[in-house]
Amino acid sequence: MIAFFQQYPEYWNDWISRLLLGARVSAELSLTGFALAAIVGALLVWALKSASPTLKRAAQWFIQGMRAVPLLALLLALYFALPSLGLTLSGYWAGAIGLGLQGSAYIAEILRGGLDSLHRGQREAAIAAGLTPWQAFTSVILPQAIRGMLPPLLNAYVSILKDSSLCALIATDELMLAARAIASETFLPMHIFLLVGLFYFVIAFPLSLLSRALEARFSRGRKSLRG
Amino acid sequence: MANLQVFLGLLPLLLRGALTALEIALCTLVFASAGGLVLAVSLTFGHSRLIRGAIACFIEWMRNVPALAHLFLIYFGLSYLGINLPAWLAAIVGLSLVGSAVLADIFRSGLQSLHIGQQEAGLAVGLTQLQILRCILLPQALRAALPAFANYVTQLIKDTSIASAIAVPEIMFLARNLVTSTFQTSLIYLAVMVIYAAMILPIGVAFIRLERRLGAAR
Repeated sequence: MIAFFQQYPEYWNDWISRLLLGARVSAELSLTGFALAAIVGALLVWALKSASPTLKRAAQWFIQGMRAVPLLALLLALYFALPSLGLTLSGYWAGAIGLGLQGSAYIAEILRGGLDSLHRGQREAAIAAGLTPWQAFTSVILPQAIRGMLPPLLNAYVSILKDSSLCALIATDELMLAARAIASETFLPMHIFLLVGLFYFVIAFPLSLLSRALEARFSRGRKSLRG
Repeated sequence: MANLQVFLGLLPLLLRGALTALEIALCTLVFASAGGLVLAVSLTFGHSRLIRGAIACFIEWMRNVPALAHLFLIYFGLSYLGINLPAWLAAIVGLSLVGSAVLADIFRSGLQSLHIGQQEAGLAVGLTQLQILRCILLPQALRAALPAFANYVTQLIKDTSIASAIAVPEIMFLARNLVTSTFQTSLIYLAVMVIYAAMILPIGVAFIRLERRLGAAR
C-alpha cells in the first residue's frame, strides 16, 4: 500500500503539469460544448413551442434521435465520416459539436420542463398588464423559471464534462488522452487513472453539491423518509 | 450500388456486435439494479453512520468521475494488483459499479418521495421493518422511480459503446475496425447509429407503456 503511493512523488512534476494542461482543455471543451448545447437547446424549445407543426415535429425528431444515439458514435461520425463529405473538423471542434448536439437534447428538456412548471396565468396576466410577449417572457416567465432550471442545468454541465473524456478517443488533447499517454509511457495505469479520476472529481463534485444545495433551497418544507 | 453490396456484407457482423452490446447491458443491468437497491435501502434505513458515509462516498466518486476512467482503471489498472480481467468482464464490472451508484440515487429518491406516514402506519399495524420495506415502501418507491430507471436503461445501452475503448468486440468496436478495413466511413457510422436507435427507441416506448399501466393500476 505504501509502495503504491511512493510512486507518485517520483513522477509528480512531469505528471501534474501534463494533466493540468489536459484539464484546462477539458474544461474549455466542456464549456464550449455546454454553450453550444444551451444555444441549440433554446432553439429546440423555441421550435417545440412554435405554432408550426413541421417545426415542432422536426424538433421532436431531433431530440429523440440525439437521445437514441451514443455520444461516441456521434463523435466518431463527426470526426471520421464528415471529411469524406468535404468537411474536416479538428478533434477539439468535433468533440465540442458532438457534446453540444447531444447535450442540446437534454438541455431542451430541462428548459421546457422549467417553462412548463409555471402556470399559464403568469403569462396571461403579464400580457393583460400590457407587456409585449417578449417582455412577458424576459421579465415575468424567465426569472421564475430559471430557479427550477438551474440545478438540472448544473447537472447537465457535469455530465458534459464527464462525457468530454470520450473525446480522447478522437484524439482531442484533453485530460483523458494525457492520462492514457502517461499510462502507456510509465506502465503505471493504476496510479495515473486514479489520479485522473480525482481530477474529474475535483471539478465535478463541487458543482454537484451546488446543484443539490440549490435544489434543496427551492423545494423546502416537505417531510419525507430519512436519507 | 457497389457500396450497398459491401455494406450488406458487413451488416451481420454489426448485428452480432449489437447483440454483444445488449448482453453486456443486460448483465450490467442485473448487477447494477441489485447493487443500487441494496445501497439505496442501507442509505435510507441504515443505522451505522460509518456505513452510510462510506456508501455516500462510493456514490459520489462513481457519479462524478467519467465511466471511461473507471473502465481504464479496471482493465489496465488492476493488473498492478495482479488482477487481469478479460475486457468484457472489465466492462461489466465497471458499468455495474457506475450503474449501482446511479440507481442507488434513483431508488433513494423514490423512497424519499414517500411520506413518512407510510412507514409509521406500517409500524402501527405491527409489521416488521423488513415487511414494511417489502410490502409497502418498495412497491411504491420503485413505481415512482420508473421514469428515471427507464432513462438509466437507455443511457446504459448507449454507454456500452464506451466498452469499445477497452477492445470489447461490441458494435462500436467492430464498426471502427470495419471502417479501417473498408473505408465505408459514413455508411458504417450511419448504420451504427440506426442500429443503436433501433435498440433504444423500442425500450423507451415499452417503459412508457409500463408507466401508463402502473399508473392506471394505482
